[in-house]
Amino acid sequence: MTAEQYLSARLRQALAEDPRTTELGVRVTVRGDHVLLSGDVASPERRAELEAVIHDVAPELTVLDDVKVVPSDAPVGREEIR
Amino acid sequence: MIRIAAVGDVHLGEDARGRMRPALDQLGDCADVLLLAGDLTRHGTVSEARVVADEFGGLPVPVIVVLGNHDHHDDKPDEVTAVLRDAGLTVLEGEATTIDVNGHTLGVAGVKGFGGGFAGKCGSAFGEPEMKAFIRHTTVIADSLGAALGSLDTDVKVALTHYAPVPDTLRGEPPEIYPFLGSYLLGEAIDANRTTLAVHGHAHFGNEHGMTPGGVRVRNVAQPVIRSAYTVYCVEPAVVEV
Repeated sequence: MTAEQYLSARLRQALAEDPRTTELGVRVTVRGDHVLLSGDVASPERRAELEAVIHDVAPELTVLDDVKVVPSDAPVGREEIR
Repeated sequence: MIRIAAVGDVHLGEDARGRMRPALDQLGDCADVLLLAGDLTRHGTVSEARVVADEFGGLPVPVIVVLGNHDHHDDKPDEVTAVLRDAGLTVLEGEATTIDVNGHTLGVAGVKGFGGGFAGKCGSAFGEPEMKAFIRHTTVIADSLGAALGSLDTDVKVALTHYAPVPDTLRGEPPEIYPFLGSYLLGEAIDANRTTLAVHGHAHFGNEHGMTPGGVRVRNVAQPVIRSAYTVYCVEPAVVEV
């Protein structure tokens, strides 16, 4: 594993175990000085918390945030299971 | 026709209070029951369970729930269960419940489930105590799911779990973590008991549609997968053979 992979693993573990985030559904990709976050969270506040935890562990990285707040609208249509 | 609404992995907390409610207000028009496939909270605290109880309490249809791994994180699953039951939700763990829908019966058997992996690529109850405990937890839960499904004599039978019973609905997740996402033992219990539909959550990067080796439809309803407050499946009760 390269240093980038170890760092990526540490950041993912921090997002999963830090009580501010406890997110197991966010992908972490480190490329040089940048870290890309992607996936879904349940509220806008939680996007900001992800960046705060990443910054605590690796303040030298620039965060690129592709995380979305998961839609909570009523569904369109339905599925008939035959 | 029985209309089954379902969602999992809503991960509610104080910051997300009320987000589901506008969509849930329309639920009575489009569904006969709502299934919640675990991970209702972030940390499994009693205060988060109260947010869940407020969000899903008082709906016009029965709400049937299993807990997920997040709902166990604070080591208070009994307290979380009590808060949800006080709000009128039916919480299942190795149990089954039956409701009547327009003259037909719907039975739902529920367990949290656990990991272990899928046939040919799974752990065994062998070696260190930690490994044996891991697999035995799955075995005990799968056995209780089988018994709960077997206890049902209804027109439609649904298995509700948090962890996945098949790998089909995990596509999109890294294959290396499949053993932490589900177990074939859950699928085997589903196949052994003439189940109509299996609903689970847990795999945020998975996909919605799958099938057990025995031909039972499986649906991953994790909210990041279905990308709405819930989704609705319509099931025709089996025609009685004369």
